[in-house]
Amino acid sequence: MKKNIGIFVLLVLWGALAVFAWVKPAGEASEAERRPLAQFPAVSGESLLSGQFVTDFEDYTLDQFPGRDLFRKLKALTHYNLFGQRDNNGIYIADGYAAKLDYPVRTEDVDHALTRLSYVYETFLKPAGSKVYTTVIPDKGYYLAEENGYPAMDYEELLRTFREKLPFGEFVDITDCLDYTDYYFTDTHWRQENLLPVAQKLSAAMGVTPPQKADFTQTKLDRPFYGVYYGQAALAMDPEDLYILESDLLDACQVYDFETDKYTPVYNLEKLSGKDPYDVFLSGAKSLLRLENLKAKTDRELLIFRDSFGSSLAPLLAQDYKTVTLVDIRYLDSRLLGNFLEFNGQDVLFAYSTSVLNSGTTLK
Amino acid sequence: MLFSSIPFLFYFLPAVLALYFLVPKNLKNAVLLLFSLVFYAWGEPVYVFLMIGTIALFFFCGVAIGKSKTQRGKKLWLTVSVVVSLTLLAIFKYADFLVGNVNSLLGTNIPLLELALPIGISFYTFQCLSYTIDVYRGNAQVQKNIVSFGAYVSLFPQLIAGPIVRYVDVARELDNRTHSWENIRLGLRRFLIGLGKKILIANQFGELTNLFRDSGEKSVVFYWIYAVAFALHIYFDFSGYSDMAIGLGRVFGFHFIENFNYPYLSRSVAEFWRRWHMSLGSWFRDYVYIPLGGNRVSRGRWVFNTLVVWMLTGLWHGAAWNFVLWGLLYAVCLLIEKFVPALQKLPDILRRGYTLLVVVLGFVLFNAADLAQAVSDIGGMFGFGNVPFVSPETLYFLRSYALLFAVALVGATPAVKQLAGRLEGKGIGLVLETVLILALLLVCTAYLVDGSFNPFLYFRF
Repeated sequence: MKKNIGIFVLLVLWGALAVFAWVKPAGEASEAERRPLAQFPAVSGESLLSGQFVTDFEDYTLDQFPGRDLFRKLKALTHYNLFGQRDNNGIYIADGYAAKLDYPVRTEDVDHALTRLSYVYETFLKPAGSKVYTTVIPDKGYYLAEENGYPAMDYEELLRTFREKLPFGEFVDITDCLDYTDYYFTDTHWRQENLLPVAQKLSAAMGVTPPQKADFTQTKLDRPFYGVYYGQAALAMDPEDLYILESDLLDACQVYDFETDKYTPVYNLEKLSGKDPYDVFLSGAKSLLRLENLKAKTDRELLIFRDSFGSSLAPLLAQDYKTVTLVDIRYLDSRLLGNFLEFNGQDVLFAYSTSVLNSGTTLK
Repeated sequence: MLFSSIPFLFYFLPAVLALYFLVPKNLKNAVLLLFSLVFYAWGEPVYVFLMIGTIALFFFCGVAIGKSKTQRGKKLWLTVSVVVSLTLLAIFKYADFLVGNVNSLLGTNIPLLELALPIGISFYTFQCLSYTIDVYRGNAQVQKNIVSFGAYVSLFPQLIAGPIVRYVDVARELDNRTHSWENIRLGLRRFLIGLGKKILIANQFGELTNLFRDSGEKSVVFYWIYAVAFALHIYFDFSGYSDMAIGLGRVFGFHFIENFNYPYLSRSVAEFWRRWHMSLGSWFRDYVYIPLGGNRVSRGRWVFNTLVVWMLTGLWHGAAWNFVLWGLLYAVCLLIEKFVPALQKLPDILRRGYTLLVVVLGFVLFNAADLAQAVSDIGGMFGFGNVPFVSPETLYFLRSYALLFAVALVGATPAVKQLAGRLEGKGIGLVLETVLILALLLVCTAYLVDGSFNPFLYFRF
């Protein structure tokens, strides 16, 4: 009898998990993973025979398993601490910062991205006589990976290719303006409050007044921030603080959203309660925005072709520009740009992160 | 359905266990048959009818062999069962291989059938063949209950990845088996150990082999890491599955044969095959090698028999030339071991080293997508192909997987089992056993919930 106590405990635990899995109401979304959870699939003769029901049901059981987040944490802990693995789901932690393994340089992806940017230049910018500036935003791995023994893409090769294939632009190297502490602990993005050196270098290159620390007030937002890597790594990491740089000038700015035909603030605090608080910067992922600087002293205009890193950078470049238009050709086909924008010789900045360039097929 | 999946562990298995132990003894095989068909249909909603047809074919052939008064009649029904089942196997598994080779050789353009391979067809076909052959030989009684026979063929614990359980080995237990808490305890313990081998070790090495394949920075050391990782992957994957099958069988009162016996400790290739996939080796020995004359024939004929058996063993694993060559590699090694007895007098360390080298290189050949990749991989291991000796990526994976390699290498020896044996029955042993099985269930579930990499290699056979 004593021998079987363990098996009784096992059966009770196993049975309880099974019963819970059967009867637990399905959740709608995972906050940690920032995605909707699979729901019980529809049953039909076709879905059963094709195997689609089975696939969908398996997804449903994984997503809706009781204590899913706890089990994901247990897996991450076992993976890191018991088996000594150095990454979990491709996310590693170095010096307290979570970063993603992103290597090697995927030449085809990078070429695709640069081809799209060249197309934009040749089709719209060159005829309009725009002055083009380019920059590559390094991801956290640029500063963290090799120093901590993690494989990294050949960043120098990526930067060289970027410069060579976009010869029409004046390249501004911002890698010396940053280090890994300028990024969030749990997120892929950089901290706006640390971006002044970047904004200053870009502004100087573009011949506009560089922003100064004294121009801004650093405001802490009252929502704890768990970044995208927090959910992917599934490790117990502390939340961090989000700060925004406010100024009278930015207070007077408004942002026109071409998708919704509505104006929003530069810092959209409503987004703090959404799935990604980083969306507070220019309301997050948007195909086309125009930041209108009502206090601008010039009529100069700036067009930024950008990814999500641009959302926190753009407000810092607004000082001397009447408008800063942000274009994200991941969400807007570059062939259609002429339908929405007038090209009249604006200053242009191509600012793309290494991670987006290295998965460049997302650019349209 | 995969054993290592949430639907199996928390939906299917609890349901089948509950119903199985609730129904009276005379309905237990029916419950097993019903759930086994659901288990199979889960992954193969169409091919389950092929399996039902196979069950019917062998059941009626078995009955017909039993009823035949003459040797000729018995032989006729045996031939029917062998020819029909091997034809089905040939159509589903080997037809496109044959057609592809004919097209290449003759320049013809015969269209391929492009049929999906029914999961586990090689396993259940061989199990069925063992039944009619043994009935024909008089080694087994005819099974007159189609439910019991169907339960034997479709028995979900070993249906799709073995061990290849011969009818004669479970005939008695099919009709009369005992159930006990001891069986449940030992069975579930074995099942969870197998689940842990599969999820915590095999899957991790599976991921590493995929990372190697995707890598753009291969090095000599990375080729070796890949080769060793794949050897460990396939061992823990397949032996883990066998552990799960044997454990589940035990829960239901069956005693399946062992399939692995620490093969990486072997001191010769011959010994390796006495320890690796033992149910397949013994099947080919008893149903192919010995009927061909075994080793009680002329030397030339014996060489021929050996080559045939190992070529078939290779082909059993897959319809591709690398599998044929993999089988023939072992045939050549076995012949060398036979013709050069001095090999057996070498120090153990050399013999083990030679065996491991053959096995590791053999698995590189086995896992290659085609012969060109096999040549490239083996060449890379020896520095051909202009690859650096080591790269930063290689060092990263070496560091990241070092502990897992250590755990797996120890786990491939009897050390853990011996330690557990010393603690068996003692108070501390019981506490550790309880902690271990609970931890295995929770941690394996955690890995599954996180959606890790999770294929079963032997499903394709």
